[in-house]
Amino acid sequence: VIALAAILAVTGATVGLGLYGVRLARTTSDLFVASRAVTPWWNAAAISGEYLSAASFLGIAGLQMKIGSAALWLPLGFTAGYLALLLFVAAPLRRFGAYTISDFAEARLGSPRLRVLAAMIVLAIAGFYLVPQLKGAGLTLTEVTGAPYWVGVVAVGAIVAINVASGGMRGITYVQAFQYWTKTFAIALPACLLLIHLGGLPERAALFGAELPQAPDGGLTVTLDAPQAVTFPEAAAYTVDGVAARAQAGEERVLPAGELALPADTVVPVAEGIDAQRGEDWARPVAAGGDASPVFVYSLLLATFLGTMGLPHILVRFYTNPDGPAARRTTVRVLGLLALFYAFPLVYGALGRVLVPQLYITGDTDSVVLALPEAAWPGLGGELLGALVAAGAFAAFMSTASGLLVSVAGTVSFDLRRRRGAPARRRHFRTAALGGVVLPVALALVARELDISVLVGWAFALAASTFCPLLLLGIWWKGLTTRGAACGLVAGTAVATAAIFTGLAVAGGHPTVDALLTQPAVISVPIAFAVMVLVSLHDRAGLRAADAELLAMHAPEGLGLGEA
Amino acid sequence: VRRTPRDELADATAHGGLYLRRLIRSQLSLSVVALVAFGGIVGALPLALLLLPGLQDIYVLGVPLPILIVAWPPFPLFIAIGVLYERRAQALEESFRDLVEPPP
Repeated sequence: VIALAAILAVTGATVGLGLYGVRLARTTSDLFVASRAVTPWWNAAAISGEYLSAASFLGIAGLQMKIGSAALWLPLGFTAGYLALLLFVAAPLRRFGAYTISDFAEARLGSPRLRVLAAMIVLAIAGFYLVPQLKGAGLTLTEVTGAPYWVGVVAVGAIVAINVASGGMRGITYVQAFQYWTKTFAIALPACLLLIHLGGLPERAALFGAELPQAPDGGLTVTLDAPQAVTFPEAAAYTVDGVAARAQAGEERVLPAGELALPADTVVPVAEGIDAQRGEDWARPVAAGGDASPVFVYSLLLATFLGTMGLPHILVRFYTNPDGPAARRTTVRVLGLLALFYAFPLVYGALGRVLVPQLYITGDTDSVVLALPEAAWPGLGGELLGALVAAGAFAAFMSTASGLLVSVAGTVSFDLRRRRGAPARRRHFRTAALGGVVLPVALALVARELDISVLVGWAFALAASTFCPLLLLGIWWKGLTTRGAACGLVAGTAVATAAIFTGLAVAGGHPTVDALLTQPAVISVPIAFAVMVLVSLHDRAGLRAADAELLAMHAPEGLGLGEA
Repeated sequence: VRRTPRDELADATAHGGLYLRRLIRSQLSLSVVALVAFGGIVGALPLALLLLPGLQDIYVLGVPLPILIVAWPPFPLFIAIGVLYERRAQALEESFRDLVEPPP
């Protein structure tokens, strides 16, 4: 009940602040001009607020609990993405004055058709990224109130769509900055208090030693809502609804729905799709094979490093910076703020392995952040902390989903159907916001088994294989042609999505192949770059003088050069 | 009338193109140097941890060293590279500014 109240408070504050902010912004002539009085610190908090999604808040700890310390590369890559943005994109793109990637594609290469192609890719990336936010919302409501999974998915989808359609959250820097601090506080405080309360990390043998996760001293009871396929890593005796049974080591079974009870010190069975790992394997950030294979780690780092710049809801935030140097200063501050946030999720992943091993049985490791406080600290303290993380999680879904939906609606109404007068476009923006959420909601309802981090990983892989080469070559190489860009975008999309869907269809093959199929960036990014460069080099006819555009991107402000 | 670099740039002459290319190249090489510094360290990290499995048995604060190495030191490194890069990029822009608008 406390948790539900906290969630409602955060949702109410977000919607309320958004609506209030819009009224405030409407009194000034221009939303973006108004935002330019914003200092780099506020801007950086806003960018971080929009960026820290369900994948950061729930997904990192969930994946860490599931596959082990290889998940620690995720926060590293998520942060490093802003370094790439800083080094190659932030200042030139801010100076160029294109608001979205589709704008950039058209303005740099002068092709309206390229804009349409870019817009379609924006929709695909935003869709991949929206689904995990909605999944997180469903999980959180289930964990907190026991409501069915679809309630949270549909509710958050509806709230976000109405909020965006009514104009809330559009470019409102202060709301997003508020969200950043909400999330950081909500993840940091419980992590610190739990570590103090428990006196450090408990049960090190299961974390770093030779043991598998076990039922705690008092035994473990789990309510299974549906039959659950599991593997028993070691022989175990258990009861379901009081009926005793035994399983051999390595045996696969389908546990019937009901109340499963494991006596103390029994090694917990693991749900289908999870490998039971001993502490020493779980603790390895890289290993020769399995989920922590170097191919997986490098591909993940590459996707996140290069993919961040191509996320549709990120770039638009940079236009609240007054000029190029301010865009750089803001990005450096984003690095600091993200580093602060990412110091905490791993605490939950580690404690969760020891304190809520029942999540291995149900497979819902993504809810470890939510389940941990009450499991570790029975009583009012745990309940309050649980309410805090639930509220923080909702702040994460709301802010990221809103940002994504704004870019979806903007893309549909401005890029795909253009120039029909301002009132018509506004109406169209609203319809697009309401319509754009339907498909992600439907996908989230069927995609419950997929990890949040895996889903987000696809969005990054797709962004890294399409918009990253477009931005880097467009900003730094005047030889890029429209045909080269178009072919590269198509090639990157094709390779990345083909790999992802093949991976879904034929999971469980050779580990290296599996890693490449779930994290295809290490192949698809070089292909996209190569296609863009080679086609451009052979497209002499398409070569156009781009000096004016490059001057606008690279010349410092105040010289009267290249500025519109 | 003597033509200044500003005129060359504004009129997009061959000279102006040269100035522009020099600016872009200097900025790009700065970014690439920063990228190599970052990539060299972070890129080598997974490989180093893979090739030195013995690190797993060294405990610092009760946690195996590789976990600590991945979880903490890269972040200050990112910030340091970011700050240094920002300063240098700013300095390059100042010198371009001096070229276009020579100080009196």
